[in-house]
Amino acid sequence: MTGAFSTATIIVGLAVAAWAAVYLIMGRSVGRYLQGAELLLAAMFVVLAIGGIAQMLGTDREFARAEFVGYLLLSPLIPVGAWWWSKNDETRAGSAVVLVVGLVMPVLVVRIQQVWAGV
Amino acid sequence: MSERAVRATNQGFGRVLVVIYAIFAIGATSRSVIQIAGRFDEAPIAYSLSALAAVVYIVATIALARGNRTSRKVAYVAVGIEMAGVLIIGAISVIFPEAFPRATVWSNFGSGYLFIPLVLPPVALWWLRRTE
Repeated sequence: MTGAFSTATIIVGLAVAAWAAVYLIMGRSVGRYLQGAELLLAAMFVVLAIGGIAQMLGTDREFARAEFVGYLLLSPLIPVGAWWWSKNDETRAGSAVVLVVGLVMPVLVVRIQQVWAGV
Repeated sequence: MSERAVRATNQGFGRVLVVIYAIFAIGATSRSVIQIAGRFDEAPIAYSLSALAAVVYIVATIALARGNRTSRKVAYVAVGIEMAGVLIIGAISVIFPEAFPRATVWSNFGSGYLFIPLVLPPVALWWLRRTE
């Protein structure tokens, strides 16, 4: 849960946010490439969820398991929702949506890591 | 149709607002489900308020996302309850900390969530007025 893949998820989230910020400043709507990046981010959260639950089943350590699974299962819905919600928007508001989600996702990874560590 | 068409609450900045509300709705709902299912006896008042906050966020999200005349009224009510909630619960939790042994999303004016719960309702009210 604290390995290279989680770090990669954080980096991709921040990269998507930075990309969306550039589009927002340029006044551009979400193009197909940024949409693809949103879906990549969602896919990474699905992998994180599968990996995290597998890791959880492999340990007897005490931590908030229900919370952990809740975070892992609901997190991928946010970038998917943002993809759907920004896709039909032809203004720069769509890019702003992706920016917000790109910033929220790394925070979620950190929160998931905290739950895993028992904080 | 009126001459000046009513602007939808789900366009432009409203799209961003809906996403922030949606994230809070998901967060508050899942948190409250875990609290109530797992340890309701520890802090029944705080956990009931968490559930109320979750419902308010869900209603506000849907109302703002729909963006028609009726949903605008619903949004005003939901955002109004949210505003009152964060101010009243925020104040009580600061003055009588023992009343809330466990945090809710509105405790300490939402300080656990970067004060977004405090900033969100006035912004949403401003947006509802602006799009009228």
